[in-house]
Amino acid sequence: MTSYKELNRPIKYIIGLVFLLAILYLFDSFLNGFWLMLVLMFGVNVILAISLTITNGWIGFFSIGHGGIMLAGAYAAAFFTVPPSLKRDILDLNLPSFMLDVQISFFPALLIGGIIGTIFGVFLVLPALRLRGFYFCTGTLGFNIIMATIAENLPNVTNGAMGLREFPAYSNIWWVWGIAIVVIYISIRLKKSYIGRAFIAIGKDQDLAEHMGINLLKYKTIAFAISSFFAALGGVLWVHLILNLFPNAFGLILVFEVVTMIVIGGMGSITGAVIGAAIITFFAEVLSPFEEGFYLMGIEVPSLLGLTTVLSGVLLIVVLIFKREGIMGEKEISLNNLRNLLKRKQSEGKIL
Amino acid sequence: MEYFIQQLFTALGYGSALAVLAAGYTMTFGIIGLVNFAHGEVFMIGALAAYFIIQVAMLPFWAGIIAALAGSVIIALMIERVAFKPVRGVGMITLFITSLGASTVLRNTTILLFNDRLKKFPRPNFLEGAYKLGNLFIYKRIVFVVLITILICIMLVFLVKKTKIGIAMRSISYNINIAQTLGINTEMVIIIVFMISASLAGISGLFWGILFGSVQASMGALPVVYAFIASILGGVGNVLGAIIGGYIIAIGSSLLVAYLPLDLVGFKPLFAWVIFFALLIIKPSGLFRANIK
Repeated sequence: MTSYKELNRPIKYIIGLVFLLAILYLFDSFLNGFWLMLVLMFGVNVILAISLTITNGWIGFFSIGHGGIMLAGAYAAAFFTVPPSLKRDILDLNLPSFMLDVQISFFPALLIGGIIGTIFGVFLVLPALRLRGFYFCTGTLGFNIIMATIAENLPNVTNGAMGLREFPAYSNIWWVWGIAIVVIYISIRLKKSYIGRAFIAIGKDQDLAEHMGINLLKYKTIAFAISSFFAALGGVLWVHLILNLFPNAFGLILVFEVVTMIVIGGMGSITGAVIGAAIITFFAEVLSPFEEGFYLMGIEVPSLLGLTTVLSGVLLIVVLIFKREGIMGEKEISLNNLRNLLKRKQSEGKIL
Repeated sequence: MEYFIQQLFTALGYGSALAVLAAGYTMTFGIIGLVNFAHGEVFMIGALAAYFIIQVAMLPFWAGIIAALAGSVIIALMIERVAFKPVRGVGMITLFITSLGASTVLRNTTILLFNDRLKKFPRPNFLEGAYKLGNLFIYKRIVFVVLITILICIMLVFLVKKTKIGIAMRSISYNINIAQTLGINTEMVIIIVFMISASLAGISGLFWGILFGSVQASMGALPVVYAFIASILGGVGNVLGAIIGGYIIAIGSSLLVAYLPLDLVGFKPLFAWVIFFALLIIKPSGLFRANIK
C-alpha cells in the first residue's frame, strides 16, 4: 500500500477534487434555511476576502474601494440576468430590442461582470502609481463614493436609488463554492509563483523591489486586475444570493467588514482570509435575528440594526491592539506544513 | 448677480461648519499623523449632546453649548485612550484602520441607541429670522456662525503662534522624538491637542444644528471626509489653511448645485473628490505650507 505522499500529482488532485465535490454534494443535499445561507455567505466572503488579500496584504496598497468594483461588476451582470420585462418596464434605455430581450445564463453573465469589474479595477491602479499610504486609502474611498453616486444618478440604467429586483436565484452551493475553490486554488498557486512573490516584494518595500528589477507598473496592474476580477465575481454572486441591488449595497460598511476579515485572519495569508471570513460570517449570520428583532418566549427583543458592524469594529480594534499580525500572520496552513510540524514534534519526542 | 451673492452667503454658513471641523481635524493630523475618521463621530456626539440637553431636558441654550463641548471632549479622549494610544507609532495605515473601526463602532452604537431619524434641533430665538438688504436675505444664524468662526480662527492662530503650548505643538509636529528629548511633555501636549480638536468638532456640531435645524446619528459620515479633504487642501497641520479649505469646498459645492442643470444635482458629492484628485496630481503638498504654523 503506497502512502499518500508517494502518489504523483494528478492523482492527488483527483483525490482532493473528489473529496471536495463529495462535501459540496452533501452540503447541497442536506443543508437548508439558516445553515445553507451561512455556508453561501461564507463562500462569497471567502472570495471577497481573498480579493482584498491580494491588494491590501500582498502589494500593500490598502484599498477600501473594492465596493465600487463590486458595484460595477454586479450592475453589468444584472443587465443580462434580470428578466426582460423588468428592463422594458422600469429602465428607460434607447437600445435595440434584441439587447433588451436578452437574458443569458449565469456563467456568461458572471464572466461579463468579472471583466467589467476588472476594467474598473484597473482604474484604481492610476492612484496607486502616485499615492502611497493613507492617501491611497482615501483615494479608494473616493472611488467607492464616486461609483455609488454615479449609480444613483443614472436612473435609466440602474433604476437609481430604487434599485433592481427580480433576480433569478442563481447562487447555490455549486456556483458559490465552485468559484470559491477555484479562487483559493489560483491564489495559492499565485503566491508561490514569480508573480506572487513579486507582489509580496512590492508590499515589503516598493523602492527596493523596483531596484531588484520588478516592473512596478506591470505588477501593480496585474495585482489590481486579478483582485478586482475576484471582487467582481464576489459582487455578482452576492447579488444573485441577496436578490436585490442598490447603489449603496456595497458601501463602506461592507468593505469594512471584509477588511475586518483579513485583519483578523492575518494580512497576506490566504488561510487567514478564509478563517477571518468564517469568523465574521458566523457572527453576522448568528446575530442577524437580533438585527431584525424577534420574540423570545413572549418577550419582544427589539431590533438592533447594525449590531454586527459594531461587534466587528470592536473585534478589529481589539485585534489591532493585542495581536497586530492577526491569527495567521503571513503564514499558511498546508498539508506539507502540517506534516513537517508533526515530524518535528515527533523527533523532539513530544508526540508518540 | 443677486442670486450668486445669495448662494454665496448661504454657503458661508455650511462653510463655517466645515471649516471649524477641518481646523480640529488638521491639528491631530499634523501632530501625530492621524487620519481620524472618528472625528466625524465626535462631531455627531457634540451635536446630539446639545440636542438632548436643549430639546429633551428643556435646559437653556448655553447649557447645550457646554454639553456639546463636554460630550465631544470626553468621547474624543476615550477614543484616543482606547483606539489610538496603543497603536501610536506603528504606522499611519494601522491608525487609519483603527480610526475607521472606532468611527463605525460609535456611529452604529448611536444608531442602535437613538435610531437614525432626523431630530429637530431647537434654534434659540435670537438666531431666528433674517435682515433684508435689497433683495438679499441675511440670515441671523449665518451671521452668528461666521462671526464665531472668525473669532475661533483668531484664537487658534494666537494659540499656535504665541503661546507656549502652541510652540510645543509645532515642535512635536516637526519631530516627536526630538521634542521629547528637549523636555516637552509630549503625552500632555497630545492630549491637549485632542481636547482642542474635539471641542472644535463639538462647536461645529452645534453650528450644524443651528444651520440646518436637525441632527441625526449618521450626520458625521460625509462632513468628516470633507474635513479630511479640506485639511489636505490647506496643507496638513496648517489651521488657517484648513479653515480656508473648508470654505472652498463648501462654497464650491453649493455653487455647483446652484448652477448645474437639475438632472446633475445628484453629483454634488463628487465636487470634493474632484478637488481631492486634482490636488494630489497637481500639488500634493496643499495650497499652503504644511505642519502646524
